Amino acid sequence: MFTPFAYIQPGSVEDVVTALGDKNAFIHAGGTDLLGCLRDDVFSADKLVSLSGLKDISGVSETSDGGLVIGALTTITDVAEHPLIQRKYAGLAQAAADVASPQLRNQGTLGGNLCQKPRCWYYRGDFDCLRKGGYKCFAVNGENEYHCIMGGANCFIVHPSDPAPALVALDAEVAIVGPGGRRRLPVSELHMPPEKDPTRETVLQDAEVITAIHLPPAAAGRYSSYRKIRTRRSWDFAVAGCALAFDMEGDQVRDCRVVLAAAAPVPWRSREAEEVLRGNTLNDGNIRAAARAAVADARPMSNNAYKIPLFEGLLREEFGKIVSA
Amino acid sequence: MTESEQEIEGQVRYPQAPDAGAAGDPQPWGEKTRVVGSRQPRVDAFERVSGSAIFPSDVMLPGMLHAAVLTSPHANARVKSVDTSKAEKLSGVYAVISRNTEDANPDWDYGSDYPGKLFYDHCRFEGDFVAAVAADSSYRAHDALRAIEVEYETLPFVSDELAALESGAPEVHDGGNEAGHQSYSRGNIEQGFAAADVVLEETYRSASEMQTPLEPHGCVARWEADRLTVWESTQGVFAVQSKIAETLNMPLARVRVIGHYVGGAFGSKLRTDKYAIAAAMLSRRSNRPVKLFMTREQTLVSMGNRPPTTMTIKAGAKKDGTLTAIQFKGIGASGAYKAGGTSLLDWLAKDLYQCDNVSTELTDVYINAQPARPFRAPGYVQCSWAMEQMMDALAEQLDMDPVALRLLNIPDGTQARGNKPYTTDGLRLCIEQGAKAFGWDQAKAAPRGNGHLQRGVGMAAANWFVGDGGPPSTVILRLYADGTANLNMGASDIGTGTKTVMAMVVAEEFGMEPDAVQIEHADTATTQFATPSGGSKTVPTEAPAVRRACLAAKDRLMDMAARQLGRERDEIIFAGDRLRTADGLESLAIPELDELKKQKVVVGVGERQPNRQDVSITPFAAQFCEVEVNRRTGEIRLLRMLGTNESGRVINRLTWDGQVIGGITMGVGYATTEQRVLDGPTGKLCNRNWHDYKLPTALDVPAEIISEPIMLSDEQANIVGAKGLGEPVTIPTGGAIANAVYAATGIRMRDTPINPVTLIDPLASQEG
Repeated sequence: MFTPFAYIQPGSVEDVVTALGDKNAFIHAGGTDLLGCLRDDVFSADKLVSLSGLKDISGVSETSDGGLVIGALTTITDVAEHPLIQRKYAGLAQAAADVASPQLRNQGTLGGNLCQKPRCWYYRGDFDCLRKGGYKCFAVNGENEYHCIMGGANCFIVHPSDPAPALVALDAEVAIVGPGGRRRLPVSELHMPPEKDPTRETVLQDAEVITAIHLPPAAAGRYSSYRKIRTRRSWDFAVAGCALAFDMEGDQVRDCRVVLAAAAPVPWRSREAEEVLRGNTLNDGNIRAAARAAVADARPMSNNAYKIPLFEGLLREEFGKIVSA
Repeated sequence: MTESEQEIEGQVRYPQAPDAGAAGDPQPWGEKTRVVGSRQPRVDAFERVSGSAIFPSDVMLPGMLHAAVLTSPHANARVKSVDTSKAEKLSGVYAVISRNTEDANPDWDYGSDYPGKLFYDHCRFEGDFVAAVAADSSYRAHDALRAIEVEYETLPFVSDELAALESGAPEVHDGGNEAGHQSYSRGNIEQGFAAADVVLEETYRSASEMQTPLEPHGCVARWEADRLTVWESTQGVFAVQSKIAETLNMPLARVRVIGHYVGGAFGSKLRTDKYAIAAAMLSRRSNRPVKLFMTREQTLVSMGNRPPTTMTIKAGAKKDGTLTAIQFKGIGASGAYKAGGTSLLDWLAKDLYQCDNVSTELTDVYINAQPARPFRAPGYVQCSWAMEQMMDALAEQLDMDPVALRLLNIPDGTQARGNKPYTTDGLRLCIEQGAKAFGWDQAKAAPRGNGHLQRGVGMAAANWFVGDGGPPSTVILRLYADGTANLNMGASDIGTGTKTVMAMVVAEEFGMEPDAVQIEHADTATTQFATPSGGSKTVPTEAPAVRRACLAAKDRLMDMAARQLGRERDEIIFAGDRLRTADGLESLAIPELDELKKQKVVVGVGERQPNRQDVSITPFAAQFCEVEVNRRTGEIRLLRMLGTNESGRVINRLTWDGQVIGGITMGVGYATTEQRVLDGPTGKLCNRNWHDYKLPTALDVPAEIISEPIMLSDEQANIVGAKGLGEPVTIPTGGAIANAVYAATGIRMRDTPINPVTLIDPLASQEG
């Protein structure tokens, strides 16, 4: 049950930023994650600052250079179903379509999705864990089948977002407004590695808010995709996933991005896999080598070594699709 | 031998069924029925769909308070002190009860093994009650919970049933963690294995599964002077009434329990729980009605589960497929109190197939986790997982078709319940008709597929222990002057369509539409005693009583018609909705009966008569499944499933099919998505919400689920020819899926659930 909080609905981004300066204030966008966290006592809020009073913060539009800008308050459904996104940034549309359930996609926003809290059952549950300011990560000696196999350090969550890896693969940036003004940041730098700060999910400063997501123009011959494996087919987070963006010339890989979901506390770019494939032919041998390279440095926990063959099989399947596409 | 059996002259005899009652043993309906057997939408479909149905959790009363419960967060802890002083001072808080309020802390025992209190000083599982509050809003009630300070002394715990049996394991209760031990044998197991050409032994594990009904567990309690009324989400209002009366030391007559609707239960609401007592206590102290529903998380933590089970099965067969020996050892966890951790666990092993030499051994175990509760086909679902995979493995070893192996070992009767013959050949019919409808032979012969997507088919069969129903049940039918009827019965409709089935029985007897029947049910003050709706026995228990009530009322109408027409009583025939003379010269519609016009109502009382004791009245089932496995990712896609059931007469084909589809869906969850996860280091439940505890979604069940009923009426079962269906529909699903996965991959998945997390490692090992 909620503890009491104040609720305001500013009419401008500037007022939102000002309001977020108050003690223990949180942004309320779609609310699908926020309200759950508050109800479950993951954290409490003194003030919720709604973004629903803002204009021009949702919707999809083309930019003059041939890229796209997606307002932060655009729903996941709108991202999944937008014809331009489906055509030019298929990996993002696929990732959005794989998020949660239809109800949650209708309510959840792209900006909120990037800023969501992890689903770790220790973080969400009645455990005084490191991420909540406690003293340890309970997953280390606990039930860690859904936890990370890379990038763990001190906290072993996996990042829960599907669109985030796709946006990293597509070299997207977020537009941020805060007390210090406006700035842009690559999505690949948005998420906070736990060794730097296990209590934050993003590098956003206090009172900063994401207002838009910018996608650069897609190169000709660009292939992008998102693939998610879960233990049930809807309303579930990934146990393994991958976002791909490949620029092909025939069967030659000119450039590529391979980003893993549910592998690490942040969307995990596999430079090892990219290196095997970049400039090379996408044949069976290279595909196997790249898939293996992606998990070569994995450090599984007691119950999640299954993720190694799973990512390997997943990547083999997804790389193989590029050839036949 | 059961108590009702007598040995006479060296032969087992069974008492004759008692006299069939005043109305005489009626003729069966026969093959031509008007309403029975059709597809009837639920009589309360509009209420359910529109939201106008008032479930117990919807009940709002003037001045009603909202309650919340503080539960122990520890797997095992002593409660040293509870300080509720801050909570009591909060605005809007009307009552706080805990172990400090002695007059609101009655004795309570979870089983009969160890006594305790409503708020006990030793909480042996996470979720046991520590305090409860009532406030003028749910928010304030939860604010008050946060203000209660409890000092616990945490104690060593054990949450794994195998670890609990190891020496040196923490003891849940003094005296060891074995909660019960049972064994059974027939024939000579050693000779049976010696006679076998093939002997296999495997160990299987079935994870704990949670019932997770949509409507949480709870009730609304209201006192009027010394009378207590409780609206509870329950499978049996009379079971709730007796437990409350016993706990509060009240006369039954002063406890009224109403449960018109229940938003799901699956066995977890057969009995009440501490919440009903806490609600009554809070209501008495606050002098207001109190609503107490557990939170979703609390229902997962402490409101029931199917016990985790480890099963070792050893089976032998001759080359021709004849089973020669079955040895079954099962270990199941009751939880912190004795609660049927191995209930019915060995029955499929000793009773599904013909086998002369069988031995079984069951060990029930205490662990520091919530007590188990019956969950749709308790024991059978787990045993089927082991037994039906073992049959599949035997078939492969014998180079036989799994269908053929099963057909070869069909028993004529129950072997573990006194060798009584079955009333039907239902097991054979289910397997044969199901295989044909599924296209088993063609599907099995079809290639697995190329590349990394591989297909396979599997099947499993089942019977079910209860499903026969029986006394007691009393039903009252009121037939009004306009020819409409009011049916009064104590049983609950737990969402299975009980009310609709009963309305159809009445409609069949009186030639009316089901819509003309109003049902009053599940109210201890106004309806007659009924046992809880569970065990798949509600239709075979209640429907015969309903038919008898109809026949009793019809008898009186026929008396009236005879008097009115000046005929002999035996000249009057009930034909459809009219009473006519045997010579066909005169007839009357029910509203034309002069005596009925004057007295306004005719009442018929029907009682459930005992079953025949010389036969075994048993429902049967078989299921068939086709899967596709992605060898690279371990993803499985259920392409199609088919369920055949022999449960006697199909009364409502629509709700029958609903049971089959729902049962298979639940079995899909058991086999592929669901498992309780208890944290190793703390014993606390990890997956306590509907994201982490994964019920299957529409995308996880096959797009094609076909229900293929065996069309027969089991006339030896009872006077409507129907047996229970709700549990047999979910027993074979897990085994059928596991067998199909084996056919697709060659991997025998011995542990539930099967999904990418568990399947990818064996697949990767196969790749080498």
